[in-house]
Amino acid sequence: MIRTLNVILVITSICALVGVYALKYSVGETASEKVAIQRHIERQEADLSLLKADWAFLNQPANVGPIVTRHVAELNLQTLAQEQFGRFDSLPMRMKAPDGAALDSLFEALDSGVDPIQQLIVESE
Amino acid sequence: MAAIAEAGGSIALEGARKARRNLTKARIRWVIAALVLIFGAVAGRLVQLGLVEQDNTIEGQTRDLITASRPAILDRNGLELAVDIRVPSLFAEPRRIIDVEEAAQAIHSVLPEINIDWLRQRLTGDKGFVWIKRELTPAIQEKIMQLGIPGLDFVTESKRFYPGGTESSHILGAVNIDNQGIAGMEKDMDDEGVALLQSIGLARGNELEPVNLSIDLRVQHVMHEVLTDALTRYKAIAAAGVMMDIKTGEVLGLVSLPDFDPNNPVTALEKDRFNRVTSGIYELGSTFKTVTMAAALDSGKVRLTDSFDARFGVRFGRFTIDDFHGKHRILTVPEIYKYSSNIGTIHVMQTLGKDDFRAFLTKVGFDKPVPFELPERRQPTVPPKFSEIVAATASFGHGLSISPLHMARAIAGFVNNGNMPKPTLYKRSVEDAAKDYIKVISPETSERIRYLMRLNALEGSGTRMNKFAAGYRAGGKTGTAEKVVKGRYDSSKTLAVFASAFPLDNPRYAMVVLVDEPHNENEQSGHTAGWNAGEATGRIVQRVAPMLGISPDFNQVLDQELVPPEIR
Repeated sequence: MIRTLNVILVITSICALVGVYALKYSVGETASEKVAIQRHIERQEADLSLLKADWAFLNQPANVGPIVTRHVAELNLQTLAQEQFGRFDSLPMRMKAPDGAALDSLFEALDSGVDPIQQLIVESE
Repeated sequence: MAAIAEAGGSIALEGARKARRNLTKARIRWVIAALVLIFGAVAGRLVQLGLVEQDNTIEGQTRDLITASRPAILDRNGLELAVDIRVPSLFAEPRRIIDVEEAAQAIHSVLPEINIDWLRQRLTGDKGFVWIKRELTPAIQEKIMQLGIPGLDFVTESKRFYPGGTESSHILGAVNIDNQGIAGMEKDMDDEGVALLQSIGLARGNELEPVNLSIDLRVQHVMHEVLTDALTRYKAIAAAGVMMDIKTGEVLGLVSLPDFDPNNPVTALEKDRFNRVTSGIYELGSTFKTVTMAAALDSGKVRLTDSFDARFGVRFGRFTIDDFHGKHRILTVPEIYKYSSNIGTIHVMQTLGKDDFRAFLTKVGFDKPVPFELPERRQPTVPPKFSEIVAATASFGHGLSISPLHMARAIAGFVNNGNMPKPTLYKRSVEDAAKDYIKVISPETSERIRYLMRLNALEGSGTRMNKFAAGYRAGGKTGTAEKVVKGRYDSSKTLAVFASAFPLDNPRYAMVVLVDEPHNENEQSGHTAGWNAGEATGRIVQRVAPMLGISPDFNQVLDQELVPPEIR
């Protein structure tokens, strides 16, 4: 009776021993994994901060400005003049209905081979 | 048992049971002793461990403070003005270094700028921590890691980076290598509590809430560019400008040239790099006539319809004060302002009374430094009591010195229905700002000042400005002040100022621009303020107004509506 009990106890304690050690090692492993991940995060945060700074730098008017000045001649860039601003209320109102007669005459003229718009352009030149 | 029997006499019988009990007792004693020893050792070790002092400091500073981060600084639209980047810093533990010579040679091969003798001396000894070089690049970190020298390691530090470079230098200020603010807004933020957060370790790694400033980076850029251009165009020694929202007191742009690179704060210590807008005080010349007019018109003793005799110079003992652009006739009040008549302004001031004039200067805050976040501020020099002649020169801006920010704030008050706002660099709503308003003049006087400022742009010394800013209803007053050289006014060295506001039909922004010692741009141009500070103001308004949502309007009715009823 006692003998079997002892055997059981010895086996349980051996199992417990193995279990505890296994746990200890797995905890240790998890801890080192955690540290590794933390390091990784730190590194990525550092990289991210650099990228963000880069983005901020590239986005700055101080950085974009000189690029614009460099291309003024090629792209024919000019400062916006006051006269170039428009307002919605300075636009003419849309016509209530399309001017049918005018459209008809336009199409007739086109059919007969005369392009009134082309003529206007030629005249203005 | 034979032995016992042989001894005879008294017989002590050691029974087997008793002997065994004694043995057990002895064994228990040994076990107890062993246990006491073991537990004693454990307890002793615990006490020993408890007594070990953990050294968390790095050369006298807490580790928290060194790795502390600062909140990002953004402009009013969320663009970054200052950000933190994480960079590795190299340190050594000399007590763990085995071969000092080898280590020194190896570090020197990667970082040749470090003196090798200094390195050797640094790595020798029994210290637990010494810095080798701070704020390195990741590439250098990699190289040093590959050397594989024991006793070298890295700490990730936060480093401040200013993506805009010099552009907002005087607003932002700078930080030292330990990430503590030493100038500008960085210093102000530390005084406001960031330093406390850092010292208790809360500002570590995890991001702090970014701070929104009132600055509009686009406006700041335009002002910086135009003023940099002004420096070369007018061959000036310095230029500065400040633009303020008149309703909230928010400063949208603040530039002072020459400036410095906050990424390299040493440059801030070079000569003439101070912030001219807040810590420079100047005799602002004729721009002061706006203040004199506001004081006189608000008192009711002078009206726009009044005329003053500007035929002869005003005599004070040996001195005679005359006009620069002399008309030498009787001038109405708007004409005095338009032609910038010193004589007329003195008469206006005298009608008001010198003591009332002095009291008005106190009211608009010319006695004290402007309440503002930047730590770089200076006490203005305004004589505490005016004599007749001091009051006379003060009326056209001589004999007293204030900062350009003082003037910008006063102008903001004059055009904002007389409500002078408190300037700020933090974003603020109109409701919050209204709590700090100081009433300086009445709304009626404000209307008259707006008319005078616009009139000067249409017909007076501000026409050069208006040529550029046409359509944006800008107006202002020029000031060309001779500088004092060796105790005398020198007419060849002047300070040109333009104090303006726009759009005057519904004022929103006030601006003061100054150009120090300007020269003629070319043969045809003049050297007075309208030609340089005025033109610069016009260029700024022309580019900035559309960004701020002000569309150009050439409708003449707007200007006519500015004319007060009594002179319509």
